[in-house]
Amino acid sequence: MFSLRNCGLWVAASLTKKRLTLARFSGDSAAPLATKFDVIVIGGGHAGTEAAAAAARCGSRTLLLTHRVDTIGQMSCNPSFGGIGKGHLMREVDALDGLCSRICDQSGVHYKVLNRRKGPAVWGLRAQIDRKLYKQNMQKEILNTPLLTVQEGAVEDLILTEPEPEYTGKCRVSGVVLADGSTVHAESVVLTTGTFLRGVIVIGLEMHPAGRLGDQPSIGLAHTLEKLGFVVGRLKTGTPPRIAKESINFSILNKQTPDNPSIPFSFISETVWIKPEDQLPCYLTHTNPKVDEIVLENLHLNSHIKETTRGPRYCPSIESKVLRFPNRLHQVWLEPEGMDSDLIYPQGLSVTLPAELQEKMITCIKGLEKAKMIQPGYGVQYDYLDPRQITPSLETHLVQRLFFAGQINGTTGYEEAAAQGVIAGINASLRVKRKPPFVVSRTEGYIGVLIDDLTTLGTNEPYRMFTSRAEFRLSLRPDNADSRLTFRGYKEVGCVSQQRYERASWMKSSLEEGISVLKSIEFSSSKWKKLIPEASISIGKSLPLSHL
Amino acid sequence: MWRGLWTLVARAARGPRSPRPCTRQGSGVPVPGSGTTIFALSSGHGRCGIAVIRTSGPASGHALRSLTAPRDLPPARSACLRLLSHPRSGEPLDRALVLWFPGPQSFTGEDCAEFHVHGGPAVVSGVLQALGSVPGLRPAEAGEFTRRAFAHGKLSLTEVEGLADLIHAETEAQRRQALRQLDGELGHLCHGWAGTLTKALAHVEAYIDFGEDDNLEEGVLEQGGSCKGWGHLVSQPPEAPSLPPLCSLPSTANSEVRELQLALGAHLRDARRGQRLRSGAHVVVAGPPNAGKSSLVNLLSRKPVSIVSPEPGTTRDVLETPVDLAGFPALLSDTAGLREGAGPVEQEGVRRARERLEQADLILAVLDASDLASPSSRNFLDTVVAPAGAGSPNGNSQRLLLVLNKSDLLPPGGPDPSPNLRPHLLLSCLTGEGLDGLLEALRKELAEVCGDPSTGPPLLTRARHQHHLQGCLDALGHYTQTKDLALAAEALRLARGHLARITGGGGTEEILDIIFRDFCVGK
Repeated sequence: MFSLRNCGLWVAASLTKKRLTLARFSGDSAAPLATKFDVIVIGGGHAGTEAAAAAARCGSRTLLLTHRVDTIGQMSCNPSFGGIGKGHLMREVDALDGLCSRICDQSGVHYKVLNRRKGPAVWGLRAQIDRKLYKQNMQKEILNTPLLTVQEGAVEDLILTEPEPEYTGKCRVSGVVLADGSTVHAESVVLTTGTFLRGVIVIGLEMHPAGRLGDQPSIGLAHTLEKLGFVVGRLKTGTPPRIAKESINFSILNKQTPDNPSIPFSFISETVWIKPEDQLPCYLTHTNPKVDEIVLENLHLNSHIKETTRGPRYCPSIESKVLRFPNRLHQVWLEPEGMDSDLIYPQGLSVTLPAELQEKMITCIKGLEKAKMIQPGYGVQYDYLDPRQITPSLETHLVQRLFFAGQINGTTGYEEAAAQGVIAGINASLRVKRKPPFVVSRTEGYIGVLIDDLTTLGTNEPYRMFTSRAEFRLSLRPDNADSRLTFRGYKEVGCVSQQRYERASWMKSSLEEGISVLKSIEFSSSKWKKLIPEASISIGKSLPLSHL
Repeated sequence: MWRGLWTLVARAARGPRSPRPCTRQGSGVPVPGSGTTIFALSSGHGRCGIAVIRTSGPASGHALRSLTAPRDLPPARSACLRLLSHPRSGEPLDRALVLWFPGPQSFTGEDCAEFHVHGGPAVVSGVLQALGSVPGLRPAEAGEFTRRAFAHGKLSLTEVEGLADLIHAETEAQRRQALRQLDGELGHLCHGWAGTLTKALAHVEAYIDFGEDDNLEEGVLEQGGSCKGWGHLVSQPPEAPSLPPLCSLPSTANSEVRELQLALGAHLRDARRGQRLRSGAHVVVAGPPNAGKSSLVNLLSRKPVSIVSPEPGTTRDVLETPVDLAGFPALLSDTAGLREGAGPVEQEGVRRARERLEQADLILAVLDASDLASPSSRNFLDTVVAPAGAGSPNGNSQRLLLVLNKSDLLPPGGPDPSPNLRPHLLLSCLTGEGLDGLLEALRKELAEVCGDPSTGPPLLTRARHQHHLQGCLDALGHYTQTKDLALAAEALRLARGHLARITGGGGTEEILDIIFRDFCVGK
């Protein structure tokens, strides 16, 4: 069913009967699309899919516009989801009934919880994901979401009208103009264009305008936003080369095995789709002085590094690692791209050297002596909009009912994008219904930390989540995301399914019951000492940490 | 399974929403009231030779031009004579010196203007009215100039406090202390501590956030010292049954925390000194009845505070008077003579006197030099003077100066009336003989009690400084005890928060800056 490319309009495939009437569109691409939607989401990446699905879950008739339907759910950089801080975000997205956690539970090939020995507040759920499976599962989910329509098309401009006087903003968005000149009207518009705003791909000294290797950038939209007065900045990021799996000598490398049992990302998944013994391992290797040498000798062939544009400090290219921390061995993780993929993703080897030098550099590394490079690493430079121009509901101050989510706001990472997507989708829908916005505070979740940091401090490098950014880290744990957000999502917004709400309620009452049972057990401190000799029981009345 | 268990264990941390205020501060803090321009009379009120009126804010330049029209702005930071006139009516107000301080090189960091006008009330009110008529200007609220200076990072919190103290300083020692604090010495000390703590925290945070995800690389881990533990931990099997003891953390973080604990402890031990200097040391004059206590109080304060009579028991209540004793501020208390068996009113006075003695920073024990053998004198020497002199082992004994009054009654050139007494001073309140010696002795004692503000480490001048240092120290204690790494990091965060509350500042971005400077984090 995914071979229907180039068909202009996509209709949700398995609509329930009562909703069928709402989504009765012509599949004929030639017919002008004079339909009006509640919410239009531009972009089918990790922010766009979450935004579109969230708006639809809230009951808004939603249109997802994307350059190509077959790239919906594409993981354009690393083949993994989650991590420390990022896993927290995924749990929160899931608590609001978002998609990515459930899709990851159906698509992973190596599940592993990081930080197991450092206290439950900082556990990091993480998994290697099969790119193809993820994309398939995500597309299946999106195309089967009630009230959600998907259409291919490049957005060239926004339709703007008079502002509503009771809100701030100099105008209001009321639809979009597509590249073919046709217009689609909507009450709210969510922009999730990622790196596609004047995106440029850099390999060595070559530069190509593109949002992702092989995909066209959005130039018209970038002009429109600039004309409206949005402050635009420029960021860069990079991705490593891909290596043929069979050309690597794994036998001499350190092997990392997945967790047994696997911990699912989603609160409503009992388990993941694959047994631990069927999962794929990762391998570890290191760079060496020869790699440094190649990088340093060829800096003149590397325009990406010379640029002054800010790149992330925490996901640096091998070039900046060599320059900033010379004479060290740097780790390279060799990660599988999927169950039946013959590609390996060398995490830690993000590079923008000319392709032939990349190949030369790779073959210096232990285990990769005979490695075959299938696709070179490249750098991406792109526009982002200063996120201080948006409110905590992700609506722009300048243009009413226009929402930004994802990399366009200066973040990096699938999880950060997904988190903003859910919030933008929910608020785009609430705005149509003239309801107050749904805002997560810093005390309630990493989503709140993310959005508060962006909207109040802005960012001058690609923003990534860390647990150290959360002041209330001890209470914002991955395991209690449901108790923090699911009930709010259900009662205030209606973006949470009945099934999830019931499960969260059950968990909540079980926990309360367990706590009251534990509280009812009282012994003297000497008895406790006898029962649990290793526990340190202070006799003096010291205040708990929270009272300091 | 993992969630249920851990939810129970860590529930305490979750609890109801914490009342602790969010301590994010930094560049992103919106400047209160920025955008408007404020003006105020900065010198004292009332008739005077020169009065200074200040403005601060973006419209300062416009205001200055409006009042000095048709002339343009004077050169930055140089005094110029200008005719001030009302911008609406054009009526001349005064010929005044004006100064122009373009931001950020100004007291508040904003554009500032100063008008040094003649100090007549009509001139001052005329100029203030003229400024009020300039669009965008409004009268300043109390302390608003300083607040803007703080908001623009021109002054830290302790410097603001130092400034307030300098304005209110009445004695020389207070002035010296306030000036040192205004110069940022206390702030620098706290910043130094906070810097150490931030670095330790950054290393722990790096270990939490990047130890496994991005695999801090081994070479980098040894940067801060010998911390092989990290490298091991990363490659240990995740199923390791127990949490790692903190000693396996970067040894730098732990040793730095231990050093900081020692430094804070040492500083807290003499913590009250700066406060005494700021608010005045409690000097209590005590002794048996009719020893001349009230005469001494009147002599030291140079005014008739207490009624003096030859009758024993004249002073019945505690009488307080603030005095400048050899440059140090002191609150001098005159108390009832200590004796038993008087009437109920005097007994209450004696009770209050004893109560006051317990709170005293310095006791001035006054005895009648000619009457040392009397029972009340002997009793006083035994119950008050001896214990204070003996001192307690922790070094916190009360300071006491023994003064033998009425030296004029002793036979001239006679032998010391009390060779067995502890060191003492002879004084005659009647003739003033021995007063210089007493003042010198008081200066030495008060310098000990208050700390000498011109030497030694900067002192903690307010109770809140002490409170937060103690809070910091307590939190560091939790850090060294706890086994859960997230809880340990929380303790460090709390400790750092307490330090940040002394000076302001302390956002999470600082931590990340250190992490990325010290470690090669990256996939």
